[in-house]
Amino acid sequence: MTELSLRLAVSLAQIAAVMGIVMLTVMILTLAERKVLGWMQDRMGPMEVGPYGILQPIADGLKLFFKEDIVPAGANKAMFTLAPILAMVPAMIGFAVIPFGPNVTVDVFGITIKPFVISDINIGVLYILAFASIGAYGIILGGWSSNSKYSLLGGLRSAAQVISYELNVGLAIVGVLLLSGSLSLVTITQAQAGGFWHWFIWGARPDGFFPIHTQIFAFVVFVISAVAETNRVPFDLPEAESELVAGFFTEYSGMRFAFFFIAEYANMVLVSCVAASLFLGGWNAPYPGTILGYAGLEQLAWIENVAWFTLKVYMFLFLFFWLRATLPRLRYDQLMRFGWKVMLPIALANIVVTAITAYFFPR
Amino acid sequence: MNLKTWIKTITFYDLLVGMKATMSHLLHYRPITLQYPHEKRMLPDNYRGMLALLRYDDGTEKCVGCDLCEAACPSRVIRVVSAEVPGQPTKRYSKEYYMDMTRCLFCGMCVDACPVDALGMTREFEWAVYDKRQLHLNKEQLLAIGDRSFPVREKQLELQHQNVAFFNVAFKHLPQKPS
Ligand code: SF4
Ligand code: SF4
Repeated sequence: MTELSLRLAVSLAQIAAVMGIVMLTVMILTLAERKVLGWMQDRMGPMEVGPYGILQPIADGLKLFFKEDIVPAGANKAMFTLAPILAMVPAMIGFAVIPFGPNVTVDVFGITIKPFVISDINIGVLYILAFASIGAYGIILGGWSSNSKYSLLGGLRSAAQVISYELNVGLAIVGVLLLSGSLSLVTITQAQAGGFWHWFIWGARPDGFFPIHTQIFAFVVFVISAVAETNRVPFDLPEAESELVAGFFTEYSGMRFAFFFIAEYANMVLVSCVAASLFLGGWNAPYPGTILGYAGLEQLAWIENVAWFTLKVYMFLFLFFWLRATLPRLRYDQLMRFGWKVMLPIALANIVVTAITAYFFPR
Repeated sequence: MNLKTWIKTITFYDLLVGMKATMSHLLHYRPITLQYPHEKRMLPDNYRGMLALLRYDDGTEKCVGCDLCEAACPSRVIRVVSAEVPGQPTKRYSKEYYMDMTRCLFCGMCVDACPVDALGMTREFEWAVYDKRQLHLNKEQLLAIGDRSFPVREKQLELQHQNVAFFNVAFKHLPQKPS
């Protein structure tokens, strides 16, 4: 009984820590996005709240918190309330299986825990994909229950888009799963240890340098589809400002709007974490081992690992901003054609090629 | 599709060119933003800002109540109630003068139309208010704007008879100003 409650306490502490970090990242992102976008467009971004505007996320949060909570006339109140929760919970829950640091174990009061992953389940990737699909329900429900034509159109677009691109995300991952032989993100990341040529984007075998199993096409498909799945520019059709006001959250205000907003950014962080773990070696440094490890500070090596993971994730997030600053929005038929006629064949061909090479040159 | 365009397509060449452009702006960060409330723009000389009614240097209003500004205004901002100056049957003035600045588009037509240059455009532009009824200005307010924006006032023309606007100066048969 005491062991159970102790495990519960440890898990809750881990969850609280991860949620805190994710929320902090979301706050940083809201500011970083506006700053980076501003710099790329010869503007300054927010400058008023605090020195150089760094307190802007807090001001935004307070503003949204005190905004009036409006439910539009004719909206289905229960659904309208449910939708933001349905959007946000799956975005948050996915972080449960992300390994933020090395797969070490620590003994606390007699029980063994892994400090850098909340729960190392053996179907980690499937779990993330499943919950990402549930997140789409939040968007669709939000669009349908708002009793507004813009919301409805945004919700419908989102449904079609998420389904088409989730397929590509799933298929792009298959190559990695074939090579690592596991669905657990921890195992997948461990399989990429020992230098950047072992990362699955490059795909050398554990004993060699030649990129025989390269997953670079899968990586490109994954990144593009991930951008589409998180409804970011240039695939932001569900919330196309110039056509649909704000798409599925046109009618939302106050904290409900904040939920959708947090969900979008948390999804960005989540797909960045998944991309970093699957293709870019997760917490592994681009050289074998860790510098701190060589220096004899084996206990502190996790700092270096976590730093590399953070760097990779932020690199992806920067890519999101960069794309947003550069690209215009696709037309709807272009989006669908690109998804089904370009991305899907590439992903399928990648599976076939990877399967063949993995059969003849097993890892 | 020849080989070159095909290679450009599959390597996202055009996207990369665009992304290089945005990146170069990020690396050579030279913002053109003015931090507006803290630093303000240099206004051009012919800036058309808030409208004002003007006075002569002896404090009399220039406006002769001719209604031409009202006729010239494309968005019907101005409303003039013209009246005789008491005791001077040939001289008129604007008894009431209203401007609904919510509709003004700052075209300056009224200023051009005024025969006695009684209207002026100031360099004020920070006129945001919480209640838009505050933008419905009467004559006193417009004169006050003129007083604070144009401290140097025009002299009343010497040649002119009191009862005649200066555009009649050239007509010698009209009574001249007694010397
Ligand atoms: S500036 Fe133009 S719109 Fe404004 S009052 Fe004069 S004539 Fe009318
Ligand atoms: S045109 Fe000039 S003089 Fe005539 S009513 Fe307007 S402001 Fe007065």
